[in-house]
Amino acid sequence: MSTSPQDLKGHLNKLVIVGGGTAGWMAAAAMARVLKGGSYRITLVESEAIGTVGVGEATIPSLPAFHRLLGIDESQFMAACQATFKLGIQFADWGQVGVKYLHPFGPYGIATNHGLFQSYWLKRRREGYASALEEWSVTALAASLGRFGTTQSNPAALKGLSHAYHLDAVLYARFLRAYAEARGVERIEGKIIEVARSPFGRVEALGLSDGRRIEGDFFIDCSGFEAIIAEKTLHAGFEDWSCWLPCDRAVAIQCEKSNNGLVTRATAREAGWQWRIPLQHRVGNGYVYSSAFLSDEAANADLSARLEGAATTTARILRFKAGRRKKAWTGNCLALGLAAGFLEPLESTSIHFVQSGLARLFALFPDGDLDPALSAEYNRLTALEYERVRDFLILHYAATRRTDSPFWQHMGGMPLPDSLVYKRDMFLNTGRIVVLSEETFQPASWLAIYAGLELWPKRHEPNIDLLPFEGLVRQFEGMRGEIRRAVETLPAQPS
Amino acid sequence: MTAALIPKVVIVGGGSAGWMAAAALSGLLGRRIGEIVLIESSEIGTVGVGEATLPTLRAFNATLGLDEVDFIKKTQATFKLGIEFKDWAGPGRTFFHGFGDFGPALRGVSPHQLWLKLRTHDDTDSYSRHSIASMAAAFGRFAPPVPDRDSILASYSYAFHFDAALYGAYLRGHAQRRGVKTRDARIVDVRLRAQDGFIESLVLNQGDPVKGDLFIDCSGFSGLLIEKTLNAGFEDWSHWLPCNRALAVPCASAAELTPFTRSTAKEAGWVWRIPLQHRIGNGYVFSSHHVSDEAARHTLLKTLDGEPLAEPKLLKFTAGRRRETWKKNCVALGLAGGFLEPLESTSIHLVESGIGRLVELFPDQSFEPKLAQEYNRLMQQSYESIRDFIILHYRACHQAGDLWQHSRTMAIPETLHHQMELFKARGVVALHDSESFAEPSWVSLYFGLGLIPRRHDPMADLIEEGALRQEMDRRVRLVAGAAQSLPTHAEFIERFCKAAR
Repeated sequence: MSTSPQDLKGHLNKLVIVGGGTAGWMAAAAMARVLKGGSYRITLVESEAIGTVGVGEATIPSLPAFHRLLGIDESQFMAACQATFKLGIQFADWGQVGVKYLHPFGPYGIATNHGLFQSYWLKRRREGYASALEEWSVTALAASLGRFGTTQSNPAALKGLSHAYHLDAVLYARFLRAYAEARGVERIEGKIIEVARSPFGRVEALGLSDGRRIEGDFFIDCSGFEAIIAEKTLHAGFEDWSCWLPCDRAVAIQCEKSNNGLVTRATAREAGWQWRIPLQHRVGNGYVYSSAFLSDEAANADLSARLEGAATTTARILRFKAGRRKKAWTGNCLALGLAAGFLEPLESTSIHFVQSGLARLFALFPDGDLDPALSAEYNRLTALEYERVRDFLILHYAATRRTDSPFWQHMGGMPLPDSLVYKRDMFLNTGRIVVLSEETFQPASWLAIYAGLELWPKRHEPNIDLLPFEGLVRQFEGMRGEIRRAVETLPAQPS
Repeated sequence: MTAALIPKVVIVGGGSAGWMAAAALSGLLGRRIGEIVLIESSEIGTVGVGEATLPTLRAFNATLGLDEVDFIKKTQATFKLGIEFKDWAGPGRTFFHGFGDFGPALRGVSPHQLWLKLRTHDDTDSYSRHSIASMAAAFGRFAPPVPDRDSILASYSYAFHFDAALYGAYLRGHAQRRGVKTRDARIVDVRLRAQDGFIESLVLNQGDPVKGDLFIDCSGFSGLLIEKTLNAGFEDWSHWLPCNRALAVPCASAAELTPFTRSTAKEAGWVWRIPLQHRIGNGYVFSSHHVSDEAARHTLLKTLDGEPLAEPKLLKFTAGRRRETWKKNCVALGLAGGFLEPLESTSIHLVESGIGRLVELFPDQSFEPKLAQEYNRLMQQSYESIRDFIILHYRACHQAGDLWQHSRTMAIPETLHHQMELFKARGVVALHDSESFAEPSWVSLYFGLGLIPRRHDPMADLIEEGALRQEMDRRVRLVAGAAQSLPTHAEFIERFCKAAR
């Protein structure tokens, strides 16, 4: 029995994960690794009858760090998950039709302070010496030249080279399942029909359709949009952000590949945007749209007509709502993944949210007393993290000059969250990028989007005028050549 | 050469804040600022007493290009490894808030969690044996940390005690050499521009009025420009920090030169002791609702190590912050920007960060309002986080008396409440934006005041206990040995940076 006062004093021993999608198996794998040596018993309950949302997934560079924590070998992982390298996101037609820009991973310049680079670049631009931002990023240049990997000489410029992956989420869950099961995680196949709670509100057990009862001390709800414990049982609440991010559907189709590419593509469309995620064996495609502006049929037809190769799957429609679970952690249940919130995959943050949620859980790991101070802190930090990313995503839409469809007219005139207005106006009026706490995207990323959307500050930061300008020109212009030479030493990727 | 962004900066007030601003901004002369004038009045005294600082002062001095040894000699400075808190945790008990850490994390688990796991029930103070700063202070020893990051002697930091009047004079020389001009006069009127209410000029009791583009208000508590003229508003925090007076007196030096500030809790406040090379600065910060000036004077004089060198000087203040420290073309620094009692030696630090942010957000004559908005947001965060840290001292103090009874039961800011609950539950330190004190500081205070978490991090239980005990014992021996290897504070000063008498 998990509710006797005695047990409440000790550790939480039985950890139960609900759901075997990407989030569930990431949680299982990470817990098996991090809690190694303790007396924890980790169980994951999933039902093969329930599909997972997993489509082709794009990620950000925190994922390689997650794999390092787990001790996962990169080439093994890539082979198992049909994964490819990703160096950034190529945006097309967002600010206006016909304009493309790249949001690369990693910093601009070589071992330089971002603020200094930004001031320099903006000042040169104002003076008429415009250079493409991409030329200053080793990652961006590698992406556009189709090069990536490691080199013998390892020049300094390559320190800024940063990568993530495109992966098949179903294969990834399978890969992590093998990892977790090899490290003692027990998998239970079954459909949950009941969540049993103690008189004090604590979740005690899951009742399965075959009559089995799975007891637990702490539950990780990775059941997806349904949030079977967090919402359906504990009513943790949902903060709806669809007023700012009105896209509520996606149609997804896989197709044969005509070429590779080291970037995710996000192309703005009539009522939303289209993704292209190249894997080793195929390409994942999707159209994220707002059902208020486009029918499912029209979205499907539009996406189907634009595929670069023959479709290998039929179209799947996904329904969602932008927002976050008000209390991701309630009592003895923590929601992760889609159960904790949803932000459209425009900046490939879904897997990252799972990862950072796990990192926070480990930093605030509960024991038997389940002190509410821990969940309060977890929820405070999680709320901030989601809001920061939300604002970053909204910026992509809000600065549009497109008026060619009702959707874009709506997006261009939409009122914005105060926090985003503050940041945007600070940039426009002072050239300064405001970094708040729990920010996922750093100033280099914000600059990429501002510049890509052609939002320019009224003035450059005057700090730059304090430094001898000729020296700066020599230093920075030298960097461009150095970056190019460094990228040319990288192996060419098959196109 | 482009024209200066700000043709003329006028600094009002010649205390520490005014001269710090003048010295720092003089580095921008000719490039961003056309000219700088500082207005001070020899008729008006400065608050400047013996000042204790934080390690950030070293970075500030380095930015100005000051030579550390020269600075120490000229300001009668001594070294500070932290603050000893006496009688705060209960009669006769002391604890130390040192500059530095308590050793590395193990398997991602913070050192204080490792200590919590191993501690015996009645042990509340052995954690300090993991801190070089604490141990060196306990032995009265000092030398600067070594640059080799892997050495145990790199894991601490230091600040200074100095004579604030001498520091002001030292910076004054520096600023004047770099072209800052001064006027000795009293301000009798402030003229505003009709169209936008910006400050246009200051009318003085003698000579021509002084025009300016940017005004730095370092006029002290009165906030001559920022408050009396521009009505920026004051957020009163005295319901949390009721101390509203201080009596300050220097006394003759004691035998041993301690490398730390001492703060001793008293019935209606606390007494500081700041050792300088030539004397000791002392003061009693108290609440006038809880003790009379006369009784406070008596208490203060009883604590002195040596003969008083002057009559105690009374200062009056209210805890709080200016709502807008930058309004129109006026930026308030130092006491004009807000007041927090010197319990954690943050006054000079707040001036440094105010100057640093002004340089970073430097305006031109258009005075883009967003710059002031961002400046005010950041300064508010700094003031509030320090406020919370100071309230923690009061909240958890074990002294007897009505003041402390009130402090232990009063409602505290929500941010601090959250931080304290989290620590009491599990020893987690939650940090907010622009936090001036890092995790080791918060832990020093919590442990020192006897706030021991109910539980330790269960992650610490994943480490084998025998091996952990060995490692922690090894660290304690290493720290003690390293601290013992340092020269005494007095020896170090005698050898390297003795001030001329």
